[in-house]
Amino acid sequence: MKPSRLTRRSFFRLAGGAGALTLASCGRLKELASLLPIGPRPDELVPFIPPAGTGIDFITHALNRLSWGVAPGEYQRVAALAATPEDALRCYVEEQLSPEKIEDRYAHAALAPMEAIRQPVAELYECKPAQLNDELTRQAVIRAVHSRRQLFEVMVGFWTDHFNIDSSKTDCRWFKTVDDRSVIRPHALGSFRDLLKASALSPAMLFYLDGRANKKRKASEKPNENYARELLELHTLGVHGGYSQQDVMEAARCLTGWTVTGREVKNGLKDVAMGLVALTGNDTGGGIGRVKFEVEAHDDGAKTVLGTTIPSGGGKADLDQLLDIVATHPSTAEFIATKLCRHFIADNPPPSAVNAVAAAFHHSRGNIKHTLRSLFSTEEFAGARGTKIKRPFHFIVSALRATGANTSSGGGVQRSLRVMGHAPFQYPTPEGPAPDGASWLSTLLHRWDFAAHLTAGQLPCSKINASRLTECAGGRDGLLRHLFGRQPDSDELAEAAAVSDVTSLALASPAFQVF
Amino acid sequence: MIHHLTSPVNTVVSAEQDAAPVLVNVFLRGGADGLHLVPPVGDDACYRARPSIAVKKSDALRLDDMFGLHRDLAPLHPLYQSGELAIVHQCGTAEESRSHFEAEDYLHHGGFQGGGWLGRFLHQTRTPADGPLTAVSIGSAVSDSLRGAAAVSLRSLEEFTLPDKDPALRGQLAALYGKAGGALGLAGGQTLQALDRIEAVRKSTTGAKNGADYGADDFSSGLSLIARLIRAGIGLRAATIELGGWDSHFTQLTLTGGLMPRLARGLAAFHRDLGADLRRVHVVVMSEFGRRVAENVSIGTDHGRGGVMFVMGGGTPGGKIIADWPRSGLIASALEGPGDIPVRHATHHVLTPVLKRIRRDVDMSKVFPDLPKGELAV
Repeated sequence: MKPSRLTRRSFFRLAGGAGALTLASCGRLKELASLLPIGPRPDELVPFIPPAGTGIDFITHALNRLSWGVAPGEYQRVAALAATPEDALRCYVEEQLSPEKIEDRYAHAALAPMEAIRQPVAELYECKPAQLNDELTRQAVIRAVHSRRQLFEVMVGFWTDHFNIDSSKTDCRWFKTVDDRSVIRPHALGSFRDLLKASALSPAMLFYLDGRANKKRKASEKPNENYARELLELHTLGVHGGYSQQDVMEAARCLTGWTVTGREVKNGLKDVAMGLVALTGNDTGGGIGRVKFEVEAHDDGAKTVLGTTIPSGGGKADLDQLLDIVATHPSTAEFIATKLCRHFIADNPPPSAVNAVAAAFHHSRGNIKHTLRSLFSTEEFAGARGTKIKRPFHFIVSALRATGANTSSGGGVQRSLRVMGHAPFQYPTPEGPAPDGASWLSTLLHRWDFAAHLTAGQLPCSKINASRLTECAGGRDGLLRHLFGRQPDSDELAEAAAVSDVTSLALASPAFQVF
Repeated sequence: MIHHLTSPVNTVVSAEQDAAPVLVNVFLRGGADGLHLVPPVGDDACYRARPSIAVKKSDALRLDDMFGLHRDLAPLHPLYQSGELAIVHQCGTAEESRSHFEAEDYLHHGGFQGGGWLGRFLHQTRTPADGPLTAVSIGSAVSDSLRGAAAVSLRSLEEFTLPDKDPALRGQLAALYGKAGGALGLAGGQTLQALDRIEAVRKSTTGAKNGADYGADDFSSGLSLIARLIRAGIGLRAATIELGGWDSHFTQLTLTGGLMPRLARGLAAFHRDLGADLRRVHVVVMSEFGRRVAENVSIGTDHGRGGVMFVMGGGTPGGKIIADWPRSGLIASALEGPGDIPVRHATHHVLTPVLKRIRRDVDMSKVFPDLPKGELAV
């Protein structure tokens, strides 16, 4: 792992972590940020300078990968953060790694009317699932489009896929919203171990992967392996991470007894009779969504997971012991690093980068910020420009961002996401939606359709001002540079010259499908 | 490349294309429980292992002395009796991880392969008439089994259209995607060609025939769409469709109770809709694995190994069930690993005779390069 020469990465590390560096070179950050418009609103668009390179330059590349797409003016702002593009990226990374310090009034205001997703856990069942689903979807899109905490939102998307929950499954209809606000968001840039535990005890996860029904009350009962298997296969070690069927069964034993109080349902009486749903006279109110450990349903014998013995009598502490074993396993560092590198670098991530990021994950004990700093400072990250294909959600959000759209994320956006099979929180199986863009290429027609409707003002609940955008970008040529992140080539210029609606063609063109 | 994309697509149908065989692959995502769909009602050990969820003999339609068909699949029973439906038990692959995603990967790719088994088959047997609607996946993504073939995914004919406000847009997209190259360029070209053919289908066909009684669910409407594409004679050679949700770790009866009627109603309506055309339409139904024999604490079942497959139409010698059931029944010593049905019949040995009926001279070593050859009499 020791670098033989002073690479950007090692320089970064030698600088004593980012804290010191941030203060030294990002002094202008606060001042600049406060001068900027709150959010990209069409009526507030101001003239901006788009990129001018013949290829994708470093700043555009960084914005392509660390955010949900380049909003008008964002390139200019980030380029001005420091004297060199490399320093500007460092400043941008540090700014973005402290989302709580980024003023985000416009996104907050856009979310303000939503009530259902803010309900206390115990009162969620009073909300209609359709309303919750609508608000949950809209907040995800609105935050991705309008929040200035872009890297945070990108990581929220990453972990949402990693700990995939289909919010249409049984009580996940109510509890996925709790998972989003209390599991994914609080830990998206925190500690992986904390995130893992929060997810393990998330009411939605306990429903989605049946952990709530994993009990061992008598010798004849066989634990429910569903969550234990996905914990190893999808959340930590990865399928080739070196665990066995025996490890799955032992992990399932460790987790017996953890359950969650659900709702009282008429046709759930059979569940109640089987002891699967805790039902007491008072649980229709305050007890709902309460995660608890039922000691009598726990298998308290000794277990051996991945070669480590968990002695008998551990009770509820078995959970932490199990999570310690899997979270610190070397395969987990490699698995998470691989997924992060796939997300930020390339669909087939270079092993050298994966190794560096895995080492950062391991040495920092799963500190997500530290791991990301390591990733963004690899040479592989800097090199892989414009090589990834956007997934449908990314395409839609980046189109809304790039055009400075004013969207409530109702109607048209949600319909497009559904048609393309990429509506948030709706992917049915626990591996989550395919991470690579190539898997989504058969959605091109719907992307063209979306682009045409958006620019024609025919997309319900989303509006753009294409002429103002063109004007602010400095004309047609500037608009293409803004949307493509580089100068258009001669063919692109020729085709663009022939149309009246250049924004629509640009959004539908191959150059806008990649990032 | 550009010329190819912008040239008008031939939508005229030849008599040959019109009568060409079609493979329809139905994937039951999630690991469908063979013991539930086709219960071994003559196996006492199975009843002991599943005190709460085993299918009672009275809830099954007789297939033979050992097996019954779950009564929720009743619409399929006449097809079994008329010899158009064959059933194979203890099916699976060599992939033993009991992971959905590994098992599904292996199944669709046909081994540890890059492309998909159906994609390799279509490539090997391709004809000059092949076009953008030679293979379709119903839904929003192309099935991995079709990797390597030109294929599009679609959910309905109506939504597969470009806004017509700008007639020049199509040509401009053709030019830009023609230049793009790579996977993106290819996908753009295929999408534009598919647009033309769908347009033709929309104009030339109508809904279900012969009084076919499709359900209102996605599975039924997908099958109805496949039947429409087949009748349109636009050169469809393969279609994939999924019915997901079989991962019955929890309260299996509730879960499968909702799915089985959809499966049976859809397939029976498809059968009726196609009428005599079913002779050239080969339907294969499969899942990534079967489930554990013993029920778990939450009256469900965990991931297992051997499952069940169905072959319908295309001249399959049906009206029979192929199984190699242990004489003892499913007692512990007859099971493998954590208590699963050992795989006796390789999935690709069920697919092989079907593919051979579609194309007699197919080279199976190119469709399943790594897997041992063999075939069952289905």
